[in-house]
Amino acid sequence: MTTTSPAGAPPAPRPAGPPPGRTARLIAALGPHATVLRGAGGLLTLIGALLPWATFVLNKGPYPDKATLQYFVAPFGVTGFRWQLLLFGIAALVLALAPVPARGRLLRGLAWGIIGIAVVNGLFITVEGGGLGAITVTDGSVACGAVVTLLAGVLVELGARAGGIEPRPVWTWRFGPWVERAVLVVVYVLMLFVVAATLTSGGTGGAANRYSGAVFLSFLAALGGAFAALHASGLMTWVATVAERHRVFSVLVLLAMALALPLTAAGNEYWMTVAANIGVYAATAIGLNIVVGLAGLLDLGYVAFLGIGAFVAANLSGAAAAKFDVHLPFALVMVISAVIAGMFGAVVGSPTLRVRGDYLAIVTLAFGEIFVRTAQNNIFGLTGGSNAIPGIPQVELFGTRFSDRIAVAGIQLPAGVLYYLLIVFLVAIVMLVFSHLKESRLGRAWIAIREDEDAARAMGIRTGPIKIMAFLCGATLAGFAGAFFAHKTGTVSYESFRFTESVTLIAAVILGGMGTVPGAVLGASLLFVLPEKLREFADYRLLLFGLALILIMRFRPQGLVPDRHRRAELARDPADEPPPGGSTAGSRAEVAA
Amino acid sequence: MLATFLSQIVNGLILGSLIGLIALGYTMVYGIIQLINFAHGEVFMVGAYGGLFMFTYLLPTFIQRQWYLALPLLLVGGAAVSTVVAVLMERFAYRPLRGAPRLAPLITALGVSVALQELVRNFYPGATAALPFPRVFVQGTWEIPVPGGTVPLRWTGLLIIVLSLVLAAVLTAYVNGTRMGRAMRAVSQDSDTARLMGVDTDRVIVLTFALGAALAGVGGIMYGTDLGFVNIDMGFQNGIFAFTAAVLGGIGNLRGAVVGGIVIGLVKALGGQYLPGGTAYDYVWIFVVLIAVLVFRPQGFFGESERVRA
Repeated sequence: MTTTSPAGAPPAPRPAGPPPGRTARLIAALGPHATVLRGAGGLLTLIGALLPWATFVLNKGPYPDKATLQYFVAPFGVTGFRWQLLLFGIAALVLALAPVPARGRLLRGLAWGIIGIAVVNGLFITVEGGGLGAITVTDGSVACGAVVTLLAGVLVELGARAGGIEPRPVWTWRFGPWVERAVLVVVYVLMLFVVAATLTSGGTGGAANRYSGAVFLSFLAALGGAFAALHASGLMTWVATVAERHRVFSVLVLLAMALALPLTAAGNEYWMTVAANIGVYAATAIGLNIVVGLAGLLDLGYVAFLGIGAFVAANLSGAAAAKFDVHLPFALVMVISAVIAGMFGAVVGSPTLRVRGDYLAIVTLAFGEIFVRTAQNNIFGLTGGSNAIPGIPQVELFGTRFSDRIAVAGIQLPAGVLYYLLIVFLVAIVMLVFSHLKESRLGRAWIAIREDEDAARAMGIRTGPIKIMAFLCGATLAGFAGAFFAHKTGTVSYESFRFTESVTLIAAVILGGMGTVPGAVLGASLLFVLPEKLREFADYRLLLFGLALILIMRFRPQGLVPDRHRRAELARDPADEPPPGGSTAGSRAEVAA
Repeated sequence: MLATFLSQIVNGLILGSLIGLIALGYTMVYGIIQLINFAHGEVFMVGAYGGLFMFTYLLPTFIQRQWYLALPLLLVGGAAVSTVVAVLMERFAYRPLRGAPRLAPLITALGVSVALQELVRNFYPGATAALPFPRVFVQGTWEIPVPGGTVPLRWTGLLIIVLSLVLAAVLTAYVNGTRMGRAMRAVSQDSDTARLMGVDTDRVIVLTFALGAALAGVGGIMYGTDLGFVNIDMGFQNGIFAFTAAVLGGIGNLRGAVVGGIVIGLVKALGGQYLPGGTAYDYVWIFVVLIAVLVFRPQGFFGESERVRA
C-alpha cells in the first residue's frame, strides 16, 4: 500500500515537549554501545529463530513450523515464522554494520516486527500449552525460542534508539518515464503477492488447521515490521511520488492487479467470497467516508443505507418472499437501489439543517435504530421481518450464473470469481466517484464545512444543501453496495444492519484514516479479514473493536493512512509534524544517491 | 378503558422515573464537559451486574433471604461498582482527550460503550443470555380501584418511582446547596474561569462522573429487581432513552432530565397502547420523539435558548 502523504511517519517515540525521563536518560547513556546492541540483537534473533519454541506437543497438535523439540530435526530447514525471523535477523545484522541512511529508523521497524512475532507465537504457545513452562523448560526439555527472540527484539529496539532515530530520508531520483513505470509494475506485482499471501497465510482455519489464527497474526506482525522498515527507508514515499507522476498508469495497473487476484494462491471459492464481502464493506466505508471523513458529520446509523439498498434489491429480484413480483435486470436493480437509498440519505441528512455536532450523531443513530426496528417488524411486508427475504436469485449475464465456476482461455477459475470481479469494478467506480468528488467544488465545500462551518458559511458556501448532498452521495454509494450484497449472499435480513455494523464501519473509516480512499479500503479490509482469520477469537471481536476505537483516538487519531488536511488538524504532538530539517536530510540523501 | 389508560400511565411513570434517574448522569456530564457520555447506559448495566455478582457470590444466605437487608446492600454495591467503572473510564479514556477535536471523545465514548458491553458478555459467567435477578423487594401489586376496573401498581414499581424522585431531589439539593455543587455549576458555566477562581476542575469532573454513575448503579439494581432479570442490551437501550430524556428536558438541567424521563416513559407506554403498530413500534416512537426534539427544540423544555454548540 502506498501512502498518499509524504510525511505519514509513525508517531515519534518521545514527544519533544516533556523533559527526558529516566528511560530517556538510560537510552542516552547507551549511546556509545548502539552498534553492539544492534549487532547482538540481530545475532540473538538468528539464534532465537533456530532454537525450539515449544517444550512439548500442544493439546491441539504440533505447533506449526515444527516448533517442538521432538520435531526439531532440521534446524536449517526452517519455514514459516522462524524463516521470517531469520530474514529479520540477517537484516538487523547487516544494518548494524553497514552505513545505510536512517538505519536507526529502519532497525526500529525491524525490532517491532521481531517483538511482534515473538509475542504472538510465545503467547499462543503459552496459552495453548497451559503455562510459561511451554516456552521455557518442562521435564528437562528446554525451549527458549520465544524468550530469546523477545529479548533480541528489545535489544534491537534499544540499539536503534540509543544510536538515534534519524529523520526519514527523502529520495529524489528521477528516471525515464518507462523505467519508472516498470518499477511501478514490479512494486504492484509484489503488492499483489503480499495481499494474496496475507489472505492465505494460516489457511482457512477449522479442525484441520487449528493454528491458523496464530500463523496469520505472526505473519501480520512480520509484514508490519517489514513495512515499517520500508517506510523508514523512504522508499515507499519515493514510490508514492513516482506513482503520483504516473497517476492514470498506476490506477490502471492496480486495477489489473486486483483483477488478477483469482490467479494467485488466493484463487479459491472461499477467498473469493471473503474478498467479495470485503469489497461490499469497503464500498460502504468509502461512502461513509464522504459523510464522516470529508464533511465531518458523524453518522452512527450508516449501515441502514446498505440495508435499504439490499432490501430494495431483494424486493425487485423476483425472490419468492419479495413483495413485488418482478424480476428486473441486475444493473437496473442496482441503480434503483442506489437512488432509493440516496433519497433516504437526503431525508436522514435533512436534520443537519438545524442540528450540529454530536446531536447530529444521535439523530443518525436514532434513524438507524428506527430502520432496524421497522425492518424487524416487517414493515409493509417489505423486509420479511425475522424470516428475512431468502432465495434471492444469482446475478446472470448471457446465461452464466455469477456463482458458477468458469474457465477463461483454458484456465479454470474458482467459483464466485465473477462476483469478485464485479465487486472490484464496483469498488473502483466508487473510488473514482469519491476521489473526483473530493477534488471537486462540492468536495472542497465539504472539507471547508468540516474545518469550520460558520467560516464556510461566511465564505459563501450554502452549507445546508451541501451537507444534505454529503448524506445523499454517501447513501447512494451504500445503496449500490447493498444491491450487490443482496444478490451475493442470497438472503437479506435486518440482522445484518444492526448498530454494531455501523460501529464496525465507523471503526474501519477511522482506523484507515478519515477522508482518504486507501484508508477506507485498508480499514475495511483489516476489520473484515481479521474476524475471518481469527475465528477462535470471534467472541472478542467487538471487544477488540471497542478497545481499538479508544486506543486509536488516544494515540493515532489520524488513522493508518492519514489525510494531509486531517493530519494537520489532528496533530497535537509536535514530534509528529514533518521535521523542520527535512530539506537537509533530503540533500544528504541526494548526495548518498 | 380508563383503567387501561391509567395502568399505562403507571407503567410510563415507572419506566420514566428510572430513565430520569439515568438521564441525570448524562445531563450532568454534558453540562460540565459537553461530552455525550455514550457509555453511561453501560455504566447502568454494569451496576446491575455488579449487584447481581454481589448477591450471588458475596452475600451469605441469611442476608439473601431478607430483602430489607439485601436491598440496601445491593443498592450500595451496584452504585459502588458503577462509580468505580465510571471513574476509571473518565481517567483513562476521556481525560487524555480533553482539548481534542469534538468528534474524538464521542468516538471514544462509543468504544467504551462497546468494550464495557463485551467485557460483561465475555467475562461475567452466563452473561451471554439474560440472567435472573433476585427480587429483593416486596412482591405483588397494589390494586388501585378506579371506575371500571383496577390499576395494578407493582410494589417494585412504586420503589422505583419513590427512590428515583428522592435521589433526584437529593442531587438537586447537593448541586444547588453545597460548596462542591457550586464548583460544579461554575465549571459548567466556564471551566477556564472556574480554574482561575481556584476550582480544581479535574476533581469536579471526576465527582460529576461518580455522582451520575452512582445514580445509574442504583437504577440498575432497581431495574433488575423490578423485571426479575438483567441482560447485556439493557444499558444501550435505556441509555439511548435516557439521553433522549436529557435532551428533551434541556441538557444540563437536572429538573429537566427527570421531567424528560417521565415524558419518555409515558410516550413508550401510551404509544405502545394506542399508536398504530402496538408495542412492536414503541421504541420507534421514542426515536421519533428524539429526532423531533433535536430538530425543533434542541434546547429542550427547560434549557436556555441557543447555547453555542460545535
